[in-house]
Formats: sequence, C-alpha cells, structure tokens
Amino acid sequence: MEGVREILVKTNKQVKVQTKMGLSKKLYDQRFLIAMSVPFVIWVIIFKYIPLAGWLMAFQDYKPKLGILGSQWVGLKHFKVLFQEEQFYQALQNTLGMSILAITFGTIFSVGFALLLNELRSLRLKRVVQTISYLPHFVSWVVVANIVGQILSTTGVLNEILMALHIIDSPVNFMSQPNLFWGIVTGSDLWKETGWNAIIYLAAITGIDVQLYEAAKVDGANRWQQIKSITLPCIRGTIIILLIMSIGNLINIGFEKQYLLGNNTVASKSLVLDKYALDYGIGMVRYSYGTAIGMFKSVVGIVLIYIANTLAKKSGEGQLI
Amino acid sequence: MKMKKFLTGIMIATMIASMGTGCGNKSSETAADPSTPASESTETPEPTTEQEPNESGFVGLADRTPTTLRVFYKDQLEDVEFTDPIAEKIKELTGVTLEIEHAVGGDEQAIPLMVASGDYPDMIFAKGDTGLLVDAGAIIPLDDYIEEKGDNLKALYGDNLKRLKYSEEDPTIYTVGTYGVNSVSWETDGNMQIQHAILKDQGYPEIKTIYQFEEAIQKYIDKYPQINGQDAIGLCLMGSDWRWLITVGNVASATAGIPDDGEWKIDDETQTAMYKYFDDGVREYMKWLNHMNAIGLLDPESFTHQEDVYYAKLASGRVLGTATPMWGTNDAKKALVGAGMEERTTAPLAVTLSEDIPAATRKNYGFSGGHGIGICESSENKDKAFEFLDWMCTEEAQILINWGIEGEDYYYDENGVRRLTPEKEEMFKTDKDFTKKTGIVKYQYPFPQQGDGAIDSTGNYFTLKNKEQVLSNMTETEKETLAAYGKELWIDFFPTPEELGVSKHGQAWQFNVPADSELGIFNQKSEDYVKQAATQAILGSPENFDTAWDEMLAKFKEMGVESANEEMTRLTQEKIRFWG
Repeated sequence: MEGVREILVKTNKQVKVQTKMGLSKKLYDQRFLIAMSVPFVIWVIIFKYIPLAGWLMAFQDYKPKLGILGSQWVGLKHFKVLFQEEQFYQALQNTLGMSILAITFGTIFSVGFALLLNELRSLRLKRVVQTISYLPHFVSWVVVANIVGQILSTTGVLNEILMALHIIDSPVNFMSQPNLFWGIVTGSDLWKETGWNAIIYLAAITGIDVQLYEAAKVDGANRWQQIKSITLPCIRGTIIILLIMSIGNLINIGFEKQYLLGNNTVASKSLVLDKYALDYGIGMVRYSYGTAIGMFKSVVGIVLIYIANTLAKKSGEGQLI
Repeated sequence: MKMKKFLTGIMIATMIASMGTGCGNKSSETAADPSTPASESTETPEPTTEQEPNESGFVGLADRTPTTLRVFYKDQLEDVEFTDPIAEKIKELTGVTLEIEHAVGGDEQAIPLMVASGDYPDMIFAKGDTGLLVDAGAIIPLDDYIEEKGDNLKALYGDNLKRLKYSEEDPTIYTVGTYGVNSVSWETDGNMQIQHAILKDQGYPEIKTIYQFEEAIQKYIDKYPQINGQDAIGLCLMGSDWRWLITVGNVASATAGIPDDGEWKIDDETQTAMYKYFDDGVREYMKWLNHMNAIGLLDPESFTHQEDVYYAKLASGRVLGTATPMWGTNDAKKALVGAGMEERTTAPLAVTLSEDIPAATRKNYGFSGGHGIGICESSENKDKAFEFLDWMCTEEAQILINWGIEGEDYYYDENGVRRLTPEKEEMFKTDKDFTKKTGIVKYQYPFPQQGDGAIDSTGNYFTLKNKEQVLSNMTETEKETLAAYGKELWIDFFPTPEELGVSKHGQAWQFNVPADSELGIFNQKSEDYVKQAATQAILGSPENFDTAWDEMLAKFKEMGVESANEEMTRLTQEKIRFWG
C-alpha cells in the first residue's frame, strides 16, 4: 500500500512540476504547431477584431469627411431610431421566419435525402443521383430566380398542371401573393441546396461501423429499424453541430434570394435585415445607422449560438463551444 | 456568412476611409483655396486657344500625352468599351482614353461605398449622389478652371452657366454637363403607347383619354384574341422593381397633366410642392389601372416579371399598349422592325384623364443643371480631365460625338445639309447595336452637350435628333399613321412648349437632397411603400380600391409627408430665387 501511495505522490509531484515548467517547455515542444497557426491568428485579428473598432460609428453621426475622431458622438440615437422603426420589425420577422423555415426544412430534407441515398443498392445509381442532385448548388441565384419566376408565372408550368387537373379554374399569380413568398423562397432554397447539404451527412453515414449493421441484421432488424436505431443515432452529433452552426447564422441570411425572387407586391414579406441595412444604412449614407443594425445582428447571433449550444450540452451531444 | 463578410468588408473600408481622412482633409483644404488651380495651371502653361486645325480639319488638344481617365457613370447598366472609331478619334485628338466604369445592375450603394473607401475615379457622374461627394470633399470646385481656361465651356453654357451652381448656400460649380443646352425636341415618348395595328384596324380613332385608349384595346383584343399564335396582352407594365416609378408612377402623374418633377407636383405660381400621390388625378389613373386589371386587360405579371421577360413580351409583338419611354423600349422596337412586324411597334399618344387636361409632356424645363460630371479631388489628372471636358464642348467634338466621322458616318449634301450616310441611316433604324458599334451618340451623355435644336457654324443641327433626322428615321408605318391623323410629327399631338410655359425651378428630381436628411429618409421610405401599397391597391378588387388608397395616404401622413412637402416647397422657392 505504501509503495502504491509513494508512487501516487510521486506522479502527483511530477504532474505539478510538469505544469510548472510546462508552459515554456510546452511552447517549445509545440513551436512548429504554433508557427503554423500564427498566420491564421493574425488573419483573424486583422480581419475580425480590428474592424470591430468600426462599431464606434454606431454611436456617432459618422461623416466620412470628419472620420471617426472628428464625428459627433450621439450616444444611442441610432438604436433608438432603429427600435422605433416599423420596417425594422417587419424585416426582423421576415429574416427570422425565412431562416427558421430554411433551417428546419433544410435539415429534414438533407438528412432524409442522405438516408435514402444511402439505402440505394446500386453504387452507380447512387453516384449519378448524388451528382445530379448537388449540381443546382452551383447555379447562380439569378438564374434560379428566373426559372422559378417562369414556372410560377400565370402562364407557367405549375398553373398549366393545376388547370389540367382541374384543381384551379383560373391561373394564380403565385409571385404576387405576399403570403406565399416565404414558401417560394424556402422551396427554391431546398431545390438548390438539398443535394449539396446531404453530402456531409452521407460522409457521416459512411463513417458508421459496418459491424453494427451486421449485428443488427443477425438480430433480424429490417432496413427501417436499422435506419432508426443505428444510422440516425450515429449521425446525431453531426446533425446537432451543423444545426448549432446554422442557428448562429440564423440572422445572417443575406438577401440575394429575397431580392431576386421578390417584387414590389410582396415587399412586405421579402424585406430582410441585410437588405434593410443596405438600403437604409449604406444606401442612404447613414453609415452609423447601418453599423447599428450590424451590431444588433451580431448580438442576436451570439445570443442564439449560446442558446443552441446550451441546449446541445443538455442533450449531451456535440456542443460546439 | 456572405453577408458577414460583406459587412466586415464595409467596416474595413470605413476604417480605412477614416484613417485616410486625416490627410484627405488637408488636400481638400488646398483645393478649396481658390489660388491653387490657378497656380497649378501657370506651372504648366497650356496654349488652349487658337490653334491651327490639322489637315483633317480637327484642332484637338495641344497636349496629347496619352492619359487614361477613369469615369464612373452612376446610371450605366452595360459596359461601355472605348474602342469604336469615334473613341479612336477622341484618343488621337486629345490623348485621352476613357475607362468607363459602372456599378452592376444600377446599384444604389456604389457611390456611398466609394465615399466610405475613398477610392475615386478621375471623373464621376453621380446624379442624385452629387451632394454626397460635395459633402465628402471628393469633387473639386470648377469655377477657377472655367475662368482660367474654360472658354469652350463658357461658350456652350452661356447664360446657363449660373444654373450649374450647386446651391444658394454654396454657389460653386462642381459639375458640368448632362442634358442638352438650348433643347428643343422633335420627338416624344408620349404618355402611353398603342400599337399602330390597332389604330389602322379601327380607322385611326381619336385617342385622347385613357378611357378611349382602353376602348380601342378592348375592341381589338375582342376581334383578335391572339397575335402570332400567342394570347394578346392589353396593357403591359414593368412594375416589379425601380422601373415601377417610370412605368406606373410617372405615367399616373403624366396622364393627370402634372409636369415631370419626380414624385412631386410643383406649382410654379404658388411655389408650393405636394407629394404627387395626394393628387386626385393620380388616384384616378391608379383606379383605372385597377379597373383594367379587373377586366383582364392589364397583364397580371406586370408587377412580378423580370425586366428581360418584359422586353421579350414587347419584342414578341403581342403587347397592345405600353407606358414606357422610348429609352426603355427602343431595343424591342428595333427587334420588331427587324423581324418585319412594323405594325406591332407603338405610337406615342397624348393620353390624359380627360380632354380638358393638357398633357405636359413637352414642357420646357429649362436647363436644370443639377446633374453632371465632376472631377475628383484624388485624381492625378485634374488638369487633363478639365481640358478634356472643355474640349468636349467644342464644335468639332460635339459634331464628332453626335455625327461621327465625315465621309464614314455622315456627309454634306449639295445644299450643305449634314446627313448620315445611307448605310449608317439604315443601320440606325434596324440595328439595336448601332451606338455600340459606331460610337455615334455614345459619348454624348452625360458629358456637356449641345441640345437638340442647337445650330452649329455650318447652319446644321448639332444632334441627330433634329427634325430632318427624326422624319427620315420614321418607319413607313409611323408615317402612315401620322398622315392618317394629318400630322407631321408625333409632337404635333401634344400641346406646345409655348402653351405650357417654362419651368422656373427646373425639375425637382434634380434638386440636391441629402440622402440622410429627413426629406431623404422620407423619400426612400415612401418610395418603398408606394411601390408596394399602390400595386396591391391596383391588383385588389375594385370595391376595395378606395379604402386601400386612403389607407396608403394615411400611412404617408404617418411618415411625415407634411414636413416633406414643406421642405420640398422651401427647396423650390430657393431654386426659383437662386436662378431668378
């Protein structure tokens, strides 16, 4: 027993000593790794941290001629204006609405598609389907918006089909219905991105140990049960991590889809925060106002990431931070 | 993610801008010092005047050192290549190569971003963003240059030179050019347009009101529901993006007899301005559109289709009525003529709400001067740029950019009248790439230009748009229609400029309104809102139209239309006083 204790004490001491002299030795040991990462740390500092100083503009009436040092400080003026603006809330609602739809359906469809692809027996067919399905990812939104516009126009394919099936009597102008707009955006997004997003899930599925499936087969599990009890639980971590990442970007959905698919009639449903910031911030030389919107978005983004991460931690699966 | 990067980019840009402004200020101070340009020019004495023309009859610039000048056009949508024969000639005579830049898709953010980054070209045509550049000290005052060596500019502008001044508070000339001086027009876009085929089919009826317009279209569509195998479209507009203002908003005020002041109705007598959507005439027109939609004559896709789809529809010949200026439909017209469907092109009409309302389409706005081309503070070739602008005002330059090269593009006939050569004339009528290929009129806008109607030393008109040329450019169908109505030109349908009087304030859309002012914010907000709310009112059922319209007006009041009206009134009065 004593011998054992001695050893324990010794190892404890060793550990302590190691941590004491550790830092310099550790640094020395890892010098190559550090050298390799330094450029990226510098990159992050230059491009992600230094620009944060620009946030000061949100508290000024910034004029390019006067610069940050010369412009007048106005405190929270721009935030007050922002939070009183009806359009801002409209934009916020649209942004969150379309984001949540995109994340929910995007995940469900991509995972589902990956599962289906994985079950294909013919490897060749699988490859062909996979290639075809991720091709739309490379098509520009400008083109996609035109295709969607044509399909949904009053003389478009969809109206022809619905009329031929006697579901509707006269053509519906889908693109001018504000209430359909979120759906149209989500639908086109799904068409464009499902195949692409499925790749990462497919990769995760490929990594699952084949023995699990073999054991399940021996136990008499059919394919459906295999999916439910092996595939899905095994890629749960991947799904959650990707979800957290996309939740962090929930508020940053860009505006190209909305801008290209939208028109004046559906403007109330197509205005998103990024477009609002561009039109009413930079577009009108209200640099400070634009920065205030940007700041608000960053804060919301951070809060969302923490919420998602906490939830993930609670579920005991793949938290990010 | 993309947006994040984008925002970061902007932040960096603004950071750099703010860092750069330390020294930027200094240089703009020196520029504001009136002695500077003068002293600069004494250093490099320029014999700008009195030079012997060379054997080809051109004078050109004395200093022809090859220089590349970058010019930014705010409203340019297509690439302009400086490679045509006229460009070569300009290069030969001045040494200047223009590198014309533009934002993709008419982007509104281009100039604000330029200001933020401090990266300017040599010359800039900023239209409504000119004030922004003045505030940022980005463009230089030109007064001293004009005084020193702007003889040609002075000659071109004459009394109108004072109209180039920025404002009452800051009576400096920052920009020159854009829109002809001494303009008389022999052409018109009309308020609305209708196919020649309809007029011919119905024995050339009188169409003076929108209701007669509707009747003609309805009759024709009942008789011929299909054109070239496709359903005919009664009235087709382009209202899905900013062109809404052109094909819906402006048409509404034009039919109500309101002169074109953008979104405002300005009364020169009382010197007051009103947001035009409060006008009853505008309301009536919109209500008519609503009615046209309800009876199926308005293309339901007018507010959703993309621009290229719209042009494709026009070029197919199945659109019976439109409400777009020529510059928006000219390509479609040329395509139709090229395809042998001349009768499917449209006739511009003086359509108003009722016969008592005269169309103000031919109103003489005077020379407004508000938008023009300026020289950037940061440019290394300021002197050269100014000399170039001044040279552009000379007679030889004006003839070159408007008519091309003698012998190749034009000739003088036995009476000394300048004419396009027959092949160029044919090309002008049928080839939509005429300007692109030949360079003719390519460099006219937005540089200083002689107006349509100005006459040169040979007694000929400076521009192609003179009566002779307009007449000879007409298609046979146009001539036939005009003859049936007993008119010579399309403008003969409209009240003459003399009847309408000259505008004292120019045109309100050329006022310099700071974008971040209260009025600027109102303009942006109300524009975004009206495009949406008015469209919904038009597409709604007729019994709901009035409620929808009243709701919209109430919303404008909430946005502060009253103080906007007051501010606009103040600006109008200021302009009238300043120019008076």
